[in-house]
Amino acid sequence: MNVSFSTTDGLATDSATALDERPSAEMQIESKECVLVEAINMALHYEMAHDASVVVLGEDVATNGGVFRATLDLKQAFGAERVRDTPLAEGLIAGLSVGMATQGLKPVAEIQFMGFMFAALEQLICHAARMRNRTRGRLTCPLVVRMPFGGGIHAPEHHSESTEALLAHIPGLRVVIPSSATRAYGLLLGAIRDPDPVIFLEPKRIYRAQAQSICNDGQALPLDTCFTLREGEDVTLISWGALISECTQVVEQWHEQGISVELIDVATVSPLDMATILQSVAKTGRCVIAHEAPKTGGIGGEIAAQLAEHALLDLKAPVLRVGGYDTVMPYAKKEALYLPGVAEISNAIEQVLAFG
Amino acid sequence: MKFFKLPDLGEGLQEAEIIEWNVAAGDTVSTDQLLVTVETAKAIVEIPSPQAGMIAATFGQSGDIVHLGEPLLEFVSDEADNATVVGELQTVSPQPDADEHFIIGSPKAPSQHQAIRATPAIRALAERLKVDISKVSGSGKQGLIKVEDVERVARLESEKGPSTPLKGVRRFMSLAMSQSHAQVVAVTINDDARLGNWAKKEDATLRLLRAIVAACQAEPLLNSWFDAEAMTYRSLATIDVGMAVDTPGGLFVPVLRDVAKRSDKDLRSGLNRLKKDALKRRIPVNEMQKPTITLSNFGTIAGRYANPVIVLPTVAILAAGVIRDEVCAVKGKAKVLPVMPLSLSFDHRLITGGEAARFMAALKDSLEG
Repeated sequence: MNVSFSTTDGLATDSATALDERPSAEMQIESKECVLVEAINMALHYEMAHDASVVVLGEDVATNGGVFRATLDLKQAFGAERVRDTPLAEGLIAGLSVGMATQGLKPVAEIQFMGFMFAALEQLICHAARMRNRTRGRLTCPLVVRMPFGGGIHAPEHHSESTEALLAHIPGLRVVIPSSATRAYGLLLGAIRDPDPVIFLEPKRIYRAQAQSICNDGQALPLDTCFTLREGEDVTLISWGALISECTQVVEQWHEQGISVELIDVATVSPLDMATILQSVAKTGRCVIAHEAPKTGGIGGEIAAQLAEHALLDLKAPVLRVGGYDTVMPYAKKEALYLPGVAEISNAIEQVLAFG
Repeated sequence: MKFFKLPDLGEGLQEAEIIEWNVAAGDTVSTDQLLVTVETAKAIVEIPSPQAGMIAATFGQSGDIVHLGEPLLEFVSDEADNATVVGELQTVSPQPDADEHFIIGSPKAPSQHQAIRATPAIRALAERLKVDISKVSGSGKQGLIKVEDVERVARLESEKGPSTPLKGVRRFMSLAMSQSHAQVVAVTINDDARLGNWAKKEDATLRLLRAIVAACQAEPLLNSWFDAEAMTYRSLATIDVGMAVDTPGGLFVPVLRDVAKRSDKDLRSGLNRLKKDALKRRIPVNEMQKPTITLSNFGTIAGRYANPVIVLPTVAILAAGVIRDEVCAVKGKAKVLPVMPLSLSFDHRLITGGEAARFMAALKDSLEG
């Protein structure tokens, strides 16, 4: 399915013929130029307007509109009852969300930075993730925990980590990471509508990097599939989150050199859609996985292991991972040295091409 | 770096054999300068450079087979590496949005790459035993190559010497013949044409071409292309005769265009040129493609009758054997006449026996006139 969100304007123009001057349904759906964080805000507005059980809570989300302005104007639109500022207590935010979710609400909680999530993990791992199993399906826990994550914005300690693998390891938690404004909008709607807990990790480095025209039609994207951003024949490049923009540059560079790279945005890093990845690697025979998180114990390792299990005979070269170093995420000054970039990813592609 | 891959050489040709490199790493080339000469299944093709620049590396040597889309060479480029751009929350980039279209899941109907099914350990074993793994047929599940398979080939090669891979026209012939054998329902009719009326130095090939024209006019359906999958055929207006030419390099079938409209002199000079080109193996690509009917004049060597094999998508092929003197019954009397043996194969999926027999009758009429 080739998703295009840019056609709505065209459709509306085409249908506005002289025969019928009444506005068409398409014309009434608003299309807006949004950056990623605005797309998240738009999705929250849409879902709160259409589902009265959706509530938003977190530190500074209501009056202030969130540190990154993801929850801007929600309180004005839907009232303090549904949009709540909380104390600086992540355990409370998560616990409150579990209680609300099991009793019929759909809380969308914000943890201000991923580095602050650890106090909330006891609630998320020991309760949210296993509520359905514990109650044998009597209770579900349809909550979303949004967290900005990743480095590259010159932030202080605890503000730059990519610990998605910690969460992906927990059965019962779905971990979703958008990589563009369009997908952020569709995936967040999908996450709120999912009947089980979803951790929604927002790559803050690209919060305002690229505007896209988004049709505010409430259309969710599926949470059980990768997205193929570029089709290619020679190498499969797998990534997610902010690094997708570097990967796109790498794809362009190699394209100019006559090498076609298939770019896959994993998007839902747990559970993994291995079918899409395996189908691509069966075609290309070569695979590079790039993520910002430290290599050891990262999701790249899981993908590589599954490729070794299921794609051995398709592989023309070893599966290579490009990742951060196995160190504490450095402070702002050395951040650029830590983050994998175009050169590192491109180099890995060169290696798998040169292998034979 | 910029790679130049083997371009599409037309006619669904998937591979080519490198004959000769005309450039080497370090050379500076201009646009359209000859880079490499390759031989496809049908002809020798000279590949020009798509750009000016310096060659960083060439891939493959004389005799290697390159597949469509595989890199032939690499140009040196002067582009610098783009560094990663990292900053405080980077604001909207002015470049156009390249991320508008994406596919949920995988692209539909991906092309399947035909991987050799062998584990890395088996590939390493093959390399150690100097066995070309692409020549090993696997006896395991779904053609998986096993230790025994590699060892069997290694043993065979050490005892009987290496096998010779089919290349170029011989390879194409092999594939085309297998395809024909698998698909065509061929029936062959044999007959003799009595050449009592021929002048002393009659041009037999020319007469055969004229006879084919006459026969095609009598039964146009034999000058057709047939598509069994679509269950359609195309009766063709012009008669383009594929001329089977035997060369030391293999069987070439260059095409003589629009035979019905050309003068004897024109046809003869065309024939001479085709033959010369075939011997040099340098046939213009457009003269290698799409005959509407085929003539094999093996009578210039030896043999009487044959069951010539039809090349898809055509539906008929005529073969002529050695002209011999034979005692013939003419008006109740024995007479020695020169006789040309004819073999006509037709695809019975499209052509009826009656149509083929009438075609043969028209052929004979023309030849005996």
